[in-house]
Parts: sequence; C-alpha cells; structure tokens
Amino acid sequence: MRKFPFWSWLWVIIGVLYFFLPLLGTLEFSLRIRREGYTLDAYQIVLSDPKFQESFLFSISMALATIVFSILLIAPTLYWVHLKLPHLRPMMEFTTLLPFVVPAIVLVFGYLRVYNTSSFLPLTGSAETTNLLLICAYTVLALPYVFRSVDAGLRAIDVRTLTEAGQSLGANWFTILFQIIFPNLRVALLSGAFLTFAICVGEYTFASLLDRPAFGPYLQLIGANRAYEPSALAIISFSLTWACVGVLQFLGRGAPGQSQVSGAR
Amino acid sequence: MKNRVLLLLAVVVVLAVVAACAPAPTPAPTAAPPTAAPKASAMDALIAAAKAEGQLTTIALPRTWCGYGEVIDGYAKKYGIKVNELNPDASSGDEIEAVKANKDNKGPQAPDVIDVGLSFGPTAKNDKLIQPYKVATWDTIPADAKDAEGYWYGDYYGVMAFGYNTDVVKKAPADWADLLKPEFKGAVALAGDPRSANQAISGVFSAGLSAAKGDVAKAGDEGLKFFASLNSAGNFVPVIGKAAPLAKGETPLIIAWDYNLLSWRDTLKGNPKVEVVVPQTGVVAGVYVQAISAYAPHPNAAKLWMEYLYSDEGQLLWLKGYCHPIRFNDLVKTNKVPKALMDNLPPADNYAKAIFPTLEQQSAYKEVITKQWDSVVKVVVK
Amino acid sequence: MAQATQVKSASGSDALPRTISLAWLGVVPFFLFAVLFMIIPALFFIVGSFQDAQGNWTLKNIIDLFQPSIMESYILSIQVSAVTAIGGGLFGFLLAYAAVLGGLPRWVRSALLTFSGVASNFSGVPLSFAFVSTLGRTGFITALFSNLFGWNLYQGGFNLYSFAGLSLTYMYFQFPLMVLVMAPALDGLRREWREASEILGANTFEYWRHIAFPILLPSLLGTMVLLFGNAFGAYATAYALTGATLYLVTIQIGAQIRGDVLHNQNLGYAMAFGMVVIMTTTMVIYTWFQRRSARWLR
Repeated sequence: MRKFPFWSWLWVIIGVLYFFLPLLGTLEFSLRIRREGYTLDAYQIVLSDPKFQESFLFSISMALATIVFSILLIAPTLYWVHLKLPHLRPMMEFTTLLPFVVPAIVLVFGYLRVYNTSSFLPLTGSAETTNLLLICAYTVLALPYVFRSVDAGLRAIDVRTLTEAGQSLGANWFTILFQIIFPNLRVALLSGAFLTFAICVGEYTFASLLDRPAFGPYLQLIGANRAYEPSALAIISFSLTWACVGVLQFLGRGAPGQSQVSGAR
Repeated sequence: MKNRVLLLLAVVVVLAVVAACAPAPTPAPTAAPPTAAPKASAMDALIAAAKAEGQLTTIALPRTWCGYGEVIDGYAKKYGIKVNELNPDASSGDEIEAVKANKDNKGPQAPDVIDVGLSFGPTAKNDKLIQPYKVATWDTIPADAKDAEGYWYGDYYGVMAFGYNTDVVKKAPADWADLLKPEFKGAVALAGDPRSANQAISGVFSAGLSAAKGDVAKAGDEGLKFFASLNSAGNFVPVIGKAAPLAKGETPLIIAWDYNLLSWRDTLKGNPKVEVVVPQTGVVAGVYVQAISAYAPHPNAAKLWMEYLYSDEGQLLWLKGYCHPIRFNDLVKTNKVPKALMDNLPPADNYAKAIFPTLEQQSAYKEVITKQWDSVVKVVVK
Repeated sequence: MAQATQVKSASGSDALPRTISLAWLGVVPFFLFAVLFMIIPALFFIVGSFQDAQGNWTLKNIIDLFQPSIMESYILSIQVSAVTAIGGGLFGFLLAYAAVLGGLPRWVRSALLTFSGVASNFSGVPLSFAFVSTLGRTGFITALFSNLFGWNLYQGGFNLYSFAGLSLTYMYFQFPLMVLVMAPALDGLRREWREASEILGANTFEYWRHIAFPILLPSLLGTMVLLFGNAFGAYATAYALTGATLYLVTIQIGAQIRGDVLHNQNLGYAMAFGMVVIMTTTMVIYTWFQRRSARWLR
C-alpha cells in the first residue's frame, strides 16, 4: 500500500488557497452591487449586454485560429531543428524571447506603419486581412510559451529514434510528423494551446489599436469607469475561459487505449 | 561557419527586398489656409460631403467622459454618419502616436479627430499632425483657448475637486488644508501617477496653489510640500483612484477633475453615496483641445463633427456630462442654458474662482512636480 | 562529428550540400514570420532610439538611459523579475511535481493544468483588483485577520502596494506558467530510471540529485528565464497595483510613449532597447549555463 502523499497534498492545498482567495475577493465584491445585500445583478447586466457575447465569440475564434497557426509554425520547425540543425536552437530560442522585451504598444505601432493600406503588404484595409494581422500578432505573443512547451516536450522524447523508426517503415515526413511525433507531444501541445487561448482571449493592445471587436477592449471599456461590473466580468471571463480550456483538453485527450510511446506514465 | 554565412546572407537579402518595397513616406501636407466658416449653402455642401464619406473615426472618447456617449449618438443620428470609436482609454500621448503611426493608413485604425490636453495642441501643430479649421461659432471661443490660425481650439474644461465615499469619509472637506486633519487618515488619493499623468499633476498643482495663496510660480513646490506632509501624516494613499477602489473603500477620497467624479457618482448609483466638493481655494481649471488630423481619411466628416461640437446643441450636451463647454460664458450670456442643467452641477461660486494656467506656467510646474515627486514626497514603499 | 552522423542517418546520402539546403528550407517559414512580424516592426523603435523627435540621428537617448532615475528603474525591474522568476519557479515546480508525479488522483492534474492555462494570463486590472479586494487595506483577508485574531496586517508592516505585494501578485501568473511548461518535462522522467536507481540502492534524495535534477535542469533553467522575461515585460498589472509608487521600466516606457505629460517617445524607445539588451544578456548567461549542465547528456 503506498503511503499517503502528504507533501503533494500540502503543496496543492497551498496552491489552491493562493489561487482561489483573490477570486473569492473579486466574487464577493461583485455581489455587492445593491446596498441591500448580495445579488447577482452585476452578472445580469454583463451577460445581457450583446457586445459581451459578440466580443467573446470573436476572441474565441481568433484564439482557435492562432492556436492552429502557431502550432503549425513552431512545432514542425522545432522538430526539424532538434533533428537536423541543433546549433540553430539558441537562435530560435532568442527569437522567441523577443516578444517579451518589445512592448506590445511599440510593436503594434510598427505594424500600423509597415502593413497599412499604402504598404507592400496592405493588411489594414479590410476586416478579414486585419484579422489575419491580428492572428499573426497573437502568434508573436504566444511564441515564447508555445516554443518552451514544445521544446520541453521534444527533449523528453527521443526524436531521432522515432524518426528513424518511422522512416524505416516507409513513412514520409508528413506522416512522421503528424502521426508519430505530434501524438507524443500531446501534453506539450496542449499546454501551449491552453496558454495561447488565454493570451488571445484577454489581449488588449493589439485588438484595440487594430480596431477589432475583441474581448480585451470590451473588458477595458467596462472596467474604466464602473465599479462592480468589472469584477463580475472578471469572474465570468475567468470561468468561461477555464471551461473552454477544459473542452480543449477533453478534445485533445486522444482515443482511449492510445498510449504514449515514451513518457513516464 | 558556412551555415552561418548562408543564414546571414538570407536575412540580408530578405531585409533588402523589404526595404526596397517599402513605400516612400507620404510628404506632409502643406499648411492650407484655414477654410473659412461655411455659410448656409456651404454648410449643406459640407453635410453632403461628410455623408458621402460615411464614417467618422474618433479616439480616446470614453462614453462616460463629459457625456461623450450622447454627443456621439447625437451626431450619428442627426447626420446619419457612422462613428467608429477607437480606444476610449487612450491618453493624449496615445492619440498623437496613433495619428503618427497611421499617416499612410486610410483604414479604420486612423483617427480623424483628436481631443488632447492643452499642451499637446502647439506640439501637434509643430509636428504638422493637424490641419486648421474654423467653426461657425469661432468668434465666441475665448482667444486664449485657441490657436489664432485655427489649428486647435479649446473644447471644455473642468476643475480639480474632491470626491469621497460617504460610507468611509464622514466629514466633508471644505478646502485643501482640511485634508491634513486626522479624520482623513489613509483616505486621500490622486487619480493617476503624479510623475506622468496630467490629472494627478494638476491635483498637486491645485494643492500647491492653495498653499501658496494664489502664487502660481511657487505652486509646484508648495504642492510637493503639501503632499509630503500628507504622506508623513499617513493621510495619503499611494494608489491610483478610480470608481472601483472608491466604492471598495481603498481610496475613499479622490482628487480628480469634477466631471470624472460626478460621472463616477452617477455610475455608483448611491452604492456607496459619493459627494463631490470643489475646494474653496486653489481652484484650477484644465482645458482640453480639439483638432482635425492632417491625415484624416474622412476630413469632411471631421469638419462636420467640429461644427456639431461647437453648436449650442453640442456644447450643452457636454454641460450635461458635467464638463464646462468652452463657450459656457457666451451661452450663459445669451440665456441658452436650461436651469435644470445648472442645478445638476456643484455650486457656481467656486467655479468663478478658477484659474486657467497658461502653457508656460503649465510646463513650469509640470517640470517641477514630475522631477521632484520622488525625492520630496518619498512614497516608495519597499 | 555530429554533422557527419546527421548526414548518414537523415537522408542516407553523403552529399553534404543537398542535406544542408533541404534542412534550411524547413526553418524558412519560421524565420520569415519572425522577420516580417517581429524584426521589421521592431526596427522602427530600435532606429527611433537613435533619433530625436525631429528625426535627426543622436546618441542622447542612449546617454540619457544612464540617469540615476532610469538606472534605478532597470534595477528595480530586474529585482522584481528575478525574485518572481526564482520564487515562481520553485513553488511552481513543487506544484507541477505534486500534480504529475506526486501520487495524487488523476483529476487533480487535469484541473491544475487547465486552471494554470487560464491563470497564467490573468493579469492587469482584474488581477490587481482581486488582490486589493483580498489583501488591500479594506480587503476581506485583512478584515478577517483583524476581526478573528485581532491582528492588523498593515500596522504590522505589511503593505500590498510595495515590492513584496507586487511580487506576490506577479506569482499569480508565474506559478501557473511554471506548472504548464514543466509538466511535459516531468512526464518525460521515465519510471524505469527511478526503478533502476532504487535497484542500485539509491534513496529518493540521491535519485533526485544524480538523475532527476540533472535531466530536468535545462528545462528548469529555460523556464525560469521565461518567467524572468514574463515578469520583466509586465506592464498592466504593475501599473494597476503600484503604478503610483514603484517606478518600473515598463511603467516609465509607458509614460514616455503614451503619456499625458512627459512624452519623449525616443527616450521610451531607447528604454525598450535597453530592455532588449538586458534580455539578450540573460539569454546568453542562460545558454552558457545550459550548455554546461546538459554536457553530459550528449
């Protein structure tokens, strides 16, 4: 009989306390919109606002598009680098740390200057192309996190052996990548996807200056001058995002019975 | 070694291609002579031209600031022109940056009109970012609140006031000196960072003006000394004051523009009850100015917007939003202001004492306050 | 040599040039994307840091960076980032370990990972206000302590609007980030290694010291650098919580570029350039450490 994992539970309980108490504080404040007592009026006000639904749905769609785009951009490249060009890894890593130090506000002004209607790649003229620019911007934001997740995942599996095994069985690169490597990177890809999703849904600077009807600007609008609704909105968006991420995890679980080729459990 | 050279070469080639394709920057438009105020038929022509453009892009206009929500809706309904509201939370610096970054962009991200702090008017004119236009009611705008050539023009002003949460602050402060009293322990906050936000700096200046008994030159230093004593008495809360912390009680008393405080009071709907008081001395007015972007994608809609703002209708909508429109004195003289609107504002006596600092005075006290805040007031908590 | 083995095993051909050109093709999309959407737009601000407001070339902005107030900002930002990177790294690692390898029920791991996905991006005004309503002067935990235990936190010296308070708040997105990125790495610790070490007579401590930590060290260090960068570039949370007290670099940049009053964008660009330099230096130091620690893995 294995012994009771005391320390594990201790860390988790401390973590839970740390994460939930501030949320509790926000919740408590949001319920106080009426002087008489606790009511859910603030939630009603927020949920019945059509702009809330529109902006949230828009941000979700942008987030999903960004997840697909960023994973397709980074994972195959990183796999290739691990396999064939390991000396390029530090340069790639440095590139992915750049988004941290270039403030978003500076980057978006750069986009407006370079990709406006009179440039070589006019992307701000129509809604669809501006959305494309937004997806690229979000990919830049998600770059460090997706890179780090995929990198950690790739280090944990033996890329070379898996590739050679696939090749010796006659698979082409496409099959190797999508049917051998990716399933083994499931946890890493999911982590990256979760991070990207949350980043995109709450993002403000790019959405605002590129004039897209996303959730971030909506949050800011509500939060600027009201007191109770922003707290309600924070709780709602937190819960909704958590639910969406939960759905992502459920979908990414893979068929039952499919086991990872490598990995601890 | 060879690999690195190849990579470097590839990067250089890509950059060269990109640089070659980059368009030549659009030359700044030459300063056109200001279009004269349109007469009746010219006004119709302007309306037709504006409608043809179909859209106006504004920036930095929160709907609850000076009742801009009603102003925008009024304009949209009257002329049937769609208003695209960008970034309501933008500061004056953001607006100038937006105009610069969108020079070559005719998309919906480029603002047509800007509403910025007084000191930004002349610098925007120097940087050739705005175009001149004189509205029909140009002559009723006070001379010291507009650019003689019509590049920028004052739109509204408010005065520094105290707004407090009556659940936490039981005694009403009448003047700046009251704030030093023990009943305001842990209560007084500014509405921004005094090292960089106009509203906060004006708050410090107002306190100083009161302490210096009206001497504008000394007000900057006196203001810093006032806040230093406020801080050592434990009355100052170094947190940025807004509606939420006001309601929560973290920043029970906030020093901010009266129109902001009044709009927060209305939003909170009595939960908690907020009172707004204009101090008896050290009453400072802050003027904002309007201008049309030199690169505006919809210049006619922009000009029509200005006509609307400076018409009686537009000016009174601002008054409804608790901001004093720039033509206020003119409107009062011609009895255009409804009594109900006047009653909604704090008593007019203290407003009469308001001082309008000139541009030179503003830059002088801003320099003093931003540079010396940290060393004199010593708020940094490690 | 590593390159020779690559050639043999990858395409089976001995022709060096063909392998290289094919291999390069694989990384072109990524680097093209990086150039188009990161480097070119960023060039504007790098160039801008060497210009003045009228567009003339000058080194004044760079020289201005060495003013005491700006230097202090950099030091403060580095301190906050280092503290939250290390603290966040440690507790985040413990949490990740507890959930992945700690023998807890499976649902704890899923719940923690999905929650971390959301919490890692909870920042700005909502996060700051969440902490204010918990540990602010009128926060409910502050009230709880003073009502239940008669213990006034603020009189005891605690202050949410301080370095300590900001670090505590930053942890809200640092812990989850550590958890999310380390979970796949922890998954990669094979059970066979643990079993093998037990057979050879190692206890838990020795297993960790000689096997698990050395394997995890590159990922651990890399993630801490990620945490450092994350905290270094944070703006909204710092502004909302301690905007009026702690003068971090990001706040100063915001004030210069977007501000109401100061508005010297070129100085703002120069400060951002300084951030790039610091981040690059951190990367270099990390790469050196990582190469040393991963040496034995080759």
